[in-house]
Amino acid sequence: MNKKANQKKKANQKKANPEELKLLVWVIYDITENRPRQKVSDCCKSYGLYRVQKSVFLGDLNANERDSLAVECEELVDTDRDSVYVFPMDEQSFKKVQLIGQAFDKELVSDEVITKFF
Amino acid sequence: MKGDGGIQLVINTRGSYLKKKNNCFLVKNDDKVFEVSEKKVESILITTSATITTDAIKFAVENNIDIVFLDKFGDPYGRVWHSKLGSTTYIRRRQLEISDEPEGFKLAKGWVIQKVENQVQLLKDLKKNRPEQKEELEAYISDIEDLKTQLEELEGTLEGKRNSIMGLEGMASRHYFEALNFLMPDDWKFNGRSRNPAQDGFNCLLNYGYGVLYSKVEKACIIAGLDPYVGFNHTDNYNKKSLVFDLIEMYRVYADRTVFNLFSRKQVKESFFDEIPKGMTLNREGKAVLITAVNETFEKSITYYGRNIKIGNIIQFDCHRIANNLIKK
Repeated sequence: MNKKANQKKKANQKKANPEELKLLVWVIYDITENRPRQKVSDCCKSYGLYRVQKSVFLGDLNANERDSLAVECEELVDTDRDSVYVFPMDEQSFKKVQLIGQAFDKELVSDEVITKFF
Repeated sequence: MKGDGGIQLVINTRGSYLKKKNNCFLVKNDDKVFEVSEKKVESILITTSATITTDAIKFAVENNIDIVFLDKFGDPYGRVWHSKLGSTTYIRRRQLEISDEPEGFKLAKGWVIQKVENQVQLLKDLKKNRPEQKEELEAYISDIEDLKTQLEELEGTLEGKRNSIMGLEGMASRHYFEALNFLMPDDWKFNGRSRNPAQDGFNCLLNYGYGVLYSKVEKACIIAGLDPYVGFNHTDNYNKKSLVFDLIEMYRVYADRTVFNLFSRKQVKESFFDEIPKGMTLNREGKAVLITAVNETFEKSITYYGRNIKIGNIIQFDCHRIANNLIKK
């Protein structure tokens, strides 16, 4: 393919999906009351995040999903006492993550699994 | 259709229980639980005895996730899908009209030619790494290519030429499977095609792979607005989804290639198969290996009319093309 076509292709890719760009996101919280805590964890699950510890969720989200997840969580918790953190992480850093002891399924959370048997 | 990249959730453990919980699917059995968001699931395949709640079914239907049930041979015996037509009924009307016109004949002949071309292509690919079997393979290839030429020369309408098409297709397949058998490792040689039940490991895996493929073709037809029951090469009086049988021919090669590679890479074990009266079936372990391999094949990219798409999406693209051509003046 010639150079011009390549450039055009690149430009298209960039233009096509600024919002579609998914990043791995850690959601970490500390919530006093049971009910809002349950609601936040349900919310994380419904966004397709996977639970990797009791109050830690992880998964792939695009910019829109990250924002709306944060807004929903804000409405659920008592912002004077509770905390919810939404940390995006790039792929390079995720590769360097070290897992000690009970590890989560790295391929599953980064959407590399295409078939899940149960 | 969901965008690609989702998980295919395969319920492969006897007695599993699938329900809806919040906005997730939850599967569990005696000692495991798996919870997954609707967003991550592309389809649900049930290959064994399991329990599903109507809530889970409704949730799947609402989110365009289809649930397919496969019997022990891999044949889909049912699916849950919303009851709307994929598109305008005009497509179905045209599908009926065109079936006895020369145009319909051309279309149907094209599908068979495509199938035979795919067979030749697979054998040519296999030939590349097998210099010792080159001559035998070339003989098989040229036999199949002769039949392909005869197919291309056929003209008329389906009414008169259906038997010729099917006859030539059958002969090509016989040569093709002989060639594949010739290349199979000694322990796994097979004696022609067999189904319900399969007589050997090769047929066992292949039949199951075709079953998975069949369900994908049926889904693609529905989405594109094609009537799965109105076939061209396969006549309607089978009371079967004749169009699905017609179209699947073009995609069998992907199952063939996947299964053949599993054997040539020594990934098939005796423990994948259970003996049943008069034949054998694929068990839980075997299904897991096969379905994983088939899904991996579908993830691979290929050039399709000048653009790069996943093999798994070809079927849907083709069905849309067929439907669009039917309603084009």
